[in-house]
Amino acid sequence: MQPKPDDLQLSPEEAARALAAIQNSRNAMRAAIRAHRGHYHLWLWGVIWIGMAMLAEFRGLAGVHLMPWLCAAGITGSMVLGFVQGSQIRMPVDKRFLGVLAAVILFSALWPLVLRAPVNDQAIFAYSGLVAMLCYVIAGLWFDTYLLWLGLVMTAFILVGLFCFAAIFWWWIAIFGGGTLIVSGFYIRYFWR
Amino acid sequence: MPELDPVIHQPVRLQIMAALSHLGCREQVDFTFLKTKLDLTDGNLGAHLLTLEQAGYIAVEKSFVARKPKTFVALTAAGRRAFEAHVAALTAILKPKGTS
Repeated sequence: MQPKPDDLQLSPEEAARALAAIQNSRNAMRAAIRAHRGHYHLWLWGVIWIGMAMLAEFRGLAGVHLMPWLCAAGITGSMVLGFVQGSQIRMPVDKRFLGVLAAVILFSALWPLVLRAPVNDQAIFAYSGLVAMLCYVIAGLWFDTYLLWLGLVMTAFILVGLFCFAAIFWWWIAIFGGGTLIVSGFYIRYFWR
Repeated sequence: MPELDPVIHQPVRLQIMAALSHLGCREQVDFTFLKTKLDLTDGNLGAHLLTLEQAGYIAVEKSFVARKPKTFVALTAAGRRAFEAHVAALTAILKPKGTS
């Protein structure tokens, strides 16, 4: 039987002990939760972005043609990570969220083809990256705000690289794209919440 | 002034609520994982989770992961509010009367 609220009379010492117990419990959980954040995904995709940029820089068109394979490897890796991490701390799959992502990706892939938009390798990469960052922004609005900020920062870097640093675009993407993903992985692993 | 919550006040349940309050609003934690982190037994954790579930403070979801049954636990919105009110009540006890 639970005591009634009126029966709960605590001294300041007992209240302080209860607050200390809360803090201890939260500290124990904080370390465990941080180990289950999305940092592995960000590190994985940071390395893949750097890999794609370096392939394009050093192998030219042949390297560009290898990019979809790197993306496929990244998607497979993310799925495996999600499965492994989800066995302890998970966020239930929201079907409406998946529907929104599918619609964004489908429309983003479809309209440039239908409209026969003139593009080059850098523009195609930037466009694909911007669509991916739109997905980050949506995920950030839906789930956790760090993805929102990361999506916005990466969007800015991609656009600046495309319009202001076209001559060193792939190096720019490796450093400010892949590098930002990796650094943000460290940030959420060790400092976020 | 916020009141102490008798359901949450019990030390083990206080520990559970504090741990769950650190999760994101849609996140769920595995029963075994929680048991290990809080250093509790199956029976002890199960009994206190049942009390918290009956109070509407947590949601328990059973599912299969890799064909193994798993129990996931999450704080409800009502649970988060109740826990925050309980912490506020504890904090208020520490403050001398007349201060805000």
